[in-house]
Amino acid sequence: MEAAQVEDESLVRETLAGSQASFQLLVERYQERIFSLARHYTRNAVDVEDLVQDTFLKAFSRLDTFQGQSSFFTWLYRIAVNTILDGIKRRGRSPVNIVEDPEAVAAPGSTRVSGPSAGMERDEIARITHAVLGELPEIFRAVLVMREFEDLSYQQIADVLGISIGTVESRLFRARARFKDKLLQRHPEFGEE
Amino acid sequence: MECNQAQPLIPSYLDGELSEAQAAPLRRHLLDCQPCRAGAQSEKNMKRWFSATNAVAVPKGFASRVARRAFAGDTGEPRLEPSLTFVPAVAAALPGAATEASEDRALRFVLQVTAAAALIVIALSLGLRGLSLPSGTSLSATDGRAEIGVQKAIERLDRMNREEAAKAPPATSTTVEIQRP
Repeated sequence: MEAAQVEDESLVRETLAGSQASFQLLVERYQERIFSLARHYTRNAVDVEDLVQDTFLKAFSRLDTFQGQSSFFTWLYRIAVNTILDGIKRRGRSPVNIVEDPEAVAAPGSTRVSGPSAGMERDEIARITHAVLGELPEIFRAVLVMREFEDLSYQQIADVLGISIGTVESRLFRARARFKDKLLQRHPEFGEE
Repeated sequence: MECNQAQPLIPSYLDGELSEAQAAPLRRHLLDCQPCRAGAQSEKNMKRWFSATNAVAVPKGFASRVARRAFAGDTGEPRLEPSLTFVPAVAAALPGAATEASEDRALRFVLQVTAAAALIVIALSLGLRGLSLPSGTSLSATDGRAEIGVQKAIERLDRMNREEAAKAPPATSTTVEIQRP
């Protein structure tokens, strides 16, 4: 077991024994990653803070159910994904819901896109990417965010979503194909022959 | 390795998810096969759309605020109005809590305080009005010693008048003429 995981489990035990300082340390360890996750779903800074706060409060209220079977981060991340998606739905800014079988076998991707142009500002790239992501069904958006922005491994994504690695692969495949299609609908200039 | 075997492996290869035993033959195929190489390049291009992320700004004091709320019993479950969370708004309005959200939070805080003040004023007004109005079905007056009913007081005054009238000498009638200006 990794040192960080041992420390996490120790902090969890101390929190359950009544140590507010230990819980604060847990929050400090993971707050940046959860903030990073949340802002891929909403650009509103107040909403982001509320969603991250709710994630940690829910984690605290369920801390006694943490068994240590997965890492504390995976356990927390799962709560974060659910809290963020629920919170966005409640606020009426729901990502597009799935209307098809996400695990259906996809045709080999034939759409090809170029990367962002060399002269594009980071903000402009981020704006286009998030606009395209906003048009994807949440089930595809979630895997793309976890893989491409958060750099989670297939195993971690599988643990967070409670699905198999094979399912992660197929979802990612379809999510990328969909991302390319939506990108080209909005910006045909980024298409490649 | 054939193209139909190589193509499904390209995304996992670029994600670093293939073992060396799987990656080595794919690499060899990509060196030999221009169409598959172009496909791999397109996948890499797509990844560049996800590279533009700015540093995350965590609000100052966030962790201590959340820990305090957690130990105060807040479970983070949906509230009636999720946007009206009072405690973080107060914290965000404090000096030094400079965040992207601080202006929104400060405005929200001012609106909440104004609304709370208005409610308090209305409640006090109603309360004071209620205190100043008479209540009950009988009138009474207190002189600090004992409470005397109105009827009894009138009877006592009548008795005192009668006693004084009996003691006083017979009244003589005098006429005073008042000159008007």
